[in-house]
Amino acid sequence: MKKVLSVLLVLGLVFTLAACAPAATTTSDSGADGSLDAVVKAGVLRVGVKEDVPNFGLKNTTTGEIEGFEIDIVKLLAKEILGDENAYELTPVTAKTRGPLLDNGEVDLIIATFTITDERKLTYNFSTPYYEDAVGLLVKKAAGFKGLADMDGKVIGVAQSATSKEAVNKVATEKGITVTFSEYATYPEIKAALDSGRVDAFCVDGSILGGYVDDSTMILPDRFSPQQYGVTSKLDNIALTEAVDGYISGWLADGTIEELITKWGLNY
Amino acid sequence: MKSSNPFALWRWEKMFGEWQMFGEGFLRTIEVAALALILAVVLGVIFGVISTSNNKVMRGIARVYVEFFQNTPLVIQVFFMYNGLAIAGLRLSVFAIGVLGVGIYHGAYVSEVVKTGITSISVGQVEAAKSQGFTYIQYMRYVILPQTIKIILPPLTNQAVNLIKNTSVLAMISGFDLMYMADSWASSSLDYGPSYVFAGLLYFMLCFPLATWARKYEERLKRNDIARVPFDPSEEAVTC
Repeated sequence: MKKVLSVLLVLGLVFTLAACAPAATTTSDSGADGSLDAVVKAGVLRVGVKEDVPNFGLKNTTTGEIEGFEIDIVKLLAKEILGDENAYELTPVTAKTRGPLLDNGEVDLIIATFTITDERKLTYNFSTPYYEDAVGLLVKKAAGFKGLADMDGKVIGVAQSATSKEAVNKVATEKGITVTFSEYATYPEIKAALDSGRVDAFCVDGSILGGYVDDSTMILPDRFSPQQYGVTSKLDNIALTEAVDGYISGWLADGTIEELITKWGLNY
Repeated sequence: MKSSNPFALWRWEKMFGEWQMFGEGFLRTIEVAALALILAVVLGVIFGVISTSNNKVMRGIARVYVEFFQNTPLVIQVFFMYNGLAIAGLRLSVFAIGVLGVGIYHGAYVSEVVKTGITSISVGQVEAAKSQGFTYIQYMRYVILPQTIKIILPPLTNQAVNLIKNTSVLAMISGFDLMYMADSWASSSLDYGPSYVFAGLLYFMLCFPLATWARKYEERLKRNDIARVPFDPSEEAVTC
């Protein structure tokens, strides 16, 4: 038993040391970190995107390609950075996988409805927001809810890592009602839970919700705390972050982003 | 405080500030695992005994149960119980789904373990018991099953270890178990490093003692068997 414990202790130490090592080396040369050059050299921009969010990033089942507003941003970035709008590689991510994928270097950027918060800025770099959206609620028509105020004691399905939980909780407290939350890894899982009556409302950013409305469901008029989406990159990759931020700001100013938002019907 | 290192010290501090969350999940995991284990053993013994009976129909039922639950993923079974049954009008709580889902699933494996244990007891035992007027239930209860316990305990413990780990399937259906809490914390705070390491450690704390005990027990059993093996010519003569 003692032997086992000591082995564990050693393993734990190695783990901690290994984790500390890269941080120590990268902070010293963060000024010119070569992250942009690395992308240019690789000749391909690797981006983590959603594949289950209609209009933002959704896999087209007939072509097998992921399509959407965020994929178009990837194409624009690939064109600017590498001169070829097809020089990109997409990795489907979920709220759970996008952080680790960025940290371990599998992807250069995350463009996956990643909401910017102050707390998250401690961990990743975020570009200027390319989209702003408020949280909404999708409910079954048959349930007869008119707004959040009618939902005292109900269960609300949210996505893991989504900021929507806090947003709704705040408003619920203001209205003097209590709601409970069930978290799921993906949006289709929340929709399934709504269909089966496991949750009373599907709560996520309004634009994402739009893709899940069907004959039996409707979006409530309530909107909560606007969320801003940013292109996310590793904290150390300053050069890449600055380059991307420059392009995004440019496209916001010249209306390119606005055009894409209209193209994907996200300006409701 | 700003750091991209997923294992940075401040992330650990932040997580341990929220330890109640992990505590709740841990407790839920233990509760589900304990009840599911009881269910699995009960089902396993019943179906294990049935599958060695002479009745063809009974054996068929046991076969269907084992094959169905062994050859479909637990994830699908649980997802079906969560959403499928709810649509059909039967709304089980996630706690109940955890106990039933994991218990029934592992019951199928335990049944195979019990069956192997029973068939490893020599036929002579049954014949001897029958000759003394024991009924089927009686000789199973007093003669066969007590002897199988020694044999099946190690594989049974492995099943228990797997069962504990498999309760993490609850995370998928918002089951508020340890894995769910770890997922929730990892994705909301982005501190996935400490979150999963800590959750892993808690699972390890549950499973490791069980697995070690099973291994030790098995080793002792083997040693005892080897010790007993020395050739005894007189015994040989009797059995011939």
